[in-house]
This record gives sequence, C-alpha cells and structure tokens, in this order.
Amino acid sequence: MNGWLAAAAALMALGVAPVLWYAATGPLRRRVAAQNTGTLLVCLVLLLLARGYDRPPYTDIALVVALLGPVGTLVYARLLGPEMGDDPQQGPRATVFAVLATAAVLLPLCLAESPGRSLIKLLVIGALLVGGNIVSSKALAGARPEEADDRG
Amino acid sequence: MNRRQRLWVLLLGLAGVAALLVAAAFRLPTFGSDFHPYGDRAVHEALARHTANAIAAVNFDQRAFDTLGEESILFGAVLGTVVLLRQARDEHQVTPAPARVAAPVRRYALVLLPVTLVTGLYIVAHGQLTPGGGFQGGVVAATALHLLYIAVDYRALERIRPLGLFEVGDAVGEAAYLITGAAGLLAGTAYLTNALPLGTLDSLASGGTVPLLNAAIGMEVACAVVVLLARFLDQAVEIEEEGDRS
Amino acid sequence: MADLLIALALLLVAAAATAAVAVREPARQALALSLLGLTLTLLFTVLQAPDVALSQLAVGSALTPLLVLLSVRKARRRSLDRVRAEQQAEERP
Repeated sequence: MNGWLAAAAALMALGVAPVLWYAATGPLRRRVAAQNTGTLLVCLVLLLLARGYDRPPYTDIALVVALLGPVGTLVYARLLGPEMGDDPQQGPRATVFAVLATAAVLLPLCLAESPGRSLIKLLVIGALLVGGNIVSSKALAGARPEEADDRG
Repeated sequence: MNRRQRLWVLLLGLAGVAALLVAAAFRLPTFGSDFHPYGDRAVHEALARHTANAIAAVNFDQRAFDTLGEESILFGAVLGTVVLLRQARDEHQVTPAPARVAAPVRRYALVLLPVTLVTGLYIVAHGQLTPGGGFQGGVVAATALHLLYIAVDYRALERIRPLGLFEVGDAVGEAAYLITGAAGLLAGTAYLTNALPLGTLDSLASGGTVPLLNAAIGMEVACAVVVLLARFLDQAVEIEEEGDRS
Repeated sequence: MADLLIALALLLVAAAATAAVAVREPARQALALSLLGLTLTLLFTVLQAPDVALSQLAVGSALTPLLVLLSVRKARRRSLDRVRAEQQAEERP
C-alpha cells in the first residue's frame, strides 16, 4: 500500500469524476471552467503517480499538462468568447480551490523530495499550475459578447 | 441486395469478429502477469544498443521502418490538407482585425511561449532517455508558437511564421529520415540499421541513429503542425467567399 | 492498489467517452473531447505507458480543440453569411 497512489486514486474519484460531470452539463462558461479545473487535477494526479510509482521521468507528463492545460483553456476563451457572453460569471471559488489543491498536493511532494533538479521542477510545475489557473480564469471572465469579433 | 439482406451480411460479419475476439481473449496471458515475451526481448535489444528509453529503441531502431511509414502518413496528410484548404478562385483574403485580449493574459502567454518552446525541444532531445520523443516534443513546440494567435492576434503570429520556411522544414525532416536510413546501406548492412557508434547508456549522445531519427521526426512534426494550423487559421480568419460581407 | 487505479482510470475514460458522444453540439463536444484526452492520459500513465500518455496529451490538450473550434467558426460564419444574403435579397423590392 502506497500513500501517494492512494492519494492519486482519491483525487481521481473525488476530483476528476465531478469535473467530468460539470464539463458535460450546464452553461458553456461553467463547462470551460470545469475543463480548466480538470487539467489542474489531472496534473496533480500525475505528480502523485510519478512519486507513487517511483519513476521521476513521469514528472515530464505533469509538466506538459501544466504548460498546455491553460493553453487549451485560452483557446476556448478566445474562440467561444462570443458564445458564452451571457452565461453567469464564475465566482472566485474555482481559483481558491485550485490554489488550495495545488498547495495540498505539492507541499508533501516537495517535503519528500531531496533538494536538487527534481525539486526545482516540482516548484516550476506548481508555479505554472497556479499562474495558469489564475490567468485562464481571468481570460474566461473577460469573454464578453461586445468583444465578440469573428475576425482576428 | 436489399436492406434486409445487407443487414444479415453485416450481422454475420459482426458475429464472426465477435467470435474471433472472444476466442483470442481467452488465449491471452492473464492481466498483470510476469510473462512478457515481446517486452523482454525489446528491452534486451534496447539496452544492447545503449538506448535507455525502450520505446524510443522500438520506434527508431527495432521498428524504424514502421516509423518511416507513420512519418510519411503525416507528411501526406498535411500535403493533402494544404491542397484542399488553399485559397480558391471564388474566395478572397481579408485583413484580420486586431483582437482585444486582457493584458494579464497577454503577458502570461508571452512568458509561457519560450518556456513551452524549450520544453518541446527538451522532450525531443531526451527522446532516447525519458518518455517522449520527436512526435510529442514537436507538437508541444508547434503549439507554443500558436500562443501568439491565442493571446495576441493572428497578425502577430504571421510576422514570426515564415510559412515557406516551415514547408521546407517539413520536407527536410522527412528527407533527413530517409537519408539517415541510407547510412545503414553505406555501412554495408540493411536500410535503417543502427550502424553509428552507440555512445554511453543514459547520455544525450547514446543510441546511435536513434537521436538522429528522433530529431528528424521532431522537425517534421513541428513544421507539419505549423503548416496544418496555418491552413486552418487562414480559412477561419482570413479567407472569405466572394460576395461575403463587403 | 495498481488494479484499483487501472479500474478507476478505465471508469473515467468510459464516462468521458460517453459524454463526448452524448453531447451533440460541436463546440461543447470539443470540451468533452479534451476531457476524454485527459482521462486517457491518466489511463496510459497507470498502465505504465508514459510515451503514449505524452502523445495523447500533446495532441489532445490544445491542438485538437483549436482545429475543431476553427472549423466550427468557419462553418458558422458561412451559414451566417448565407442567412444575411437571403435577408438582404428579401428586403430589396
């Protein structure tokens, strides 16, 4: 029994599963926000798995999620902006949750890691996750119909 | 043949496939067992050629010819898209209007662009050592460039994207793979044989031809994705049918 | 433990794939599709296939949504323009 893998399983069942539901139902803006949270949770699960399986190279997958996840959300915010203009704005809850979840997963991981390149990689991934999440929520909130412009 | 008969033929075919699948499933080794005849041989061969990532050894050494086929499929597919999505005679080009993007988003994207580009190159360069390789890294690097469209606007992307060069790069990547394969012929063995010095295991220059083929794929994929997205973006942003909004 | 993770990942993939089929509108379908890509990444990782997971991730997270949404935009603009042209034709005496 490996605590890291158990945490990854819990995060998959209690985090990723509800996100699937939110991303498939409801107003468009909420769906995109759910997709954004989904990339964050999957990144955290991948970090836990890399540690749990004791395979440091797996961290690269989490790094790619942390980089490209927000890019995906920005694509949606850019190209679906006009369509989700009238949807209710999302509160700050999702961002608060994202920051807390990242801290809750990364702190133990960093404490378990010996100082070195892999620790720096973990910190970079954490910074990318928090920064990416904040920025993509901002992009999502900024998508309004009057800025709708179907060219450019 | 009428509809009913065709349905019966379909059902017959489906039943045959189902029977074969079930029969095959019962003969499979049990899930999670220690018996991996192919895996053991592949890993043995990979270590013999000093390639730490066994998957890279399978893709670029043991079955390099398969990868040549896959690369050519991508090359052909992008070529087909370029032909299909070209500007037709009854279409004209319009200048895209600059888009308004929130300042923090723009700043974040401009910081993220070089980081993503370097990560893509890192994944290509470490293909023979860690998970990843030419395909994965190439796509990540190509995606990085398009942050300019997503967070600034299309004209900003067009300025740093000399499309002709990327089209040449696509072809050069494909040709580099073919020519590296011919190195085996020069060494007196078969096409695509790993004939170069193998280097030390777990260093960047290990695996003989593996890193070279990997780099060729990385170049081909990155350029192909840029060219592919360029055609899609042109169609969605710049090209309009004759008689559309004046 | 490993089997539990594989079972969980398989369930998530099945749920996401069902959602991707059940959602009918293309733009919303692209969203369901990117979540399917994320769950597939998890599945490939727990099956110890990180190379495949990376491939799925590289293609599925930004490239596929961009291609789908650009196509949707082009198709919509075309039909919108056609509707406008018809309206103009009707307004003219």
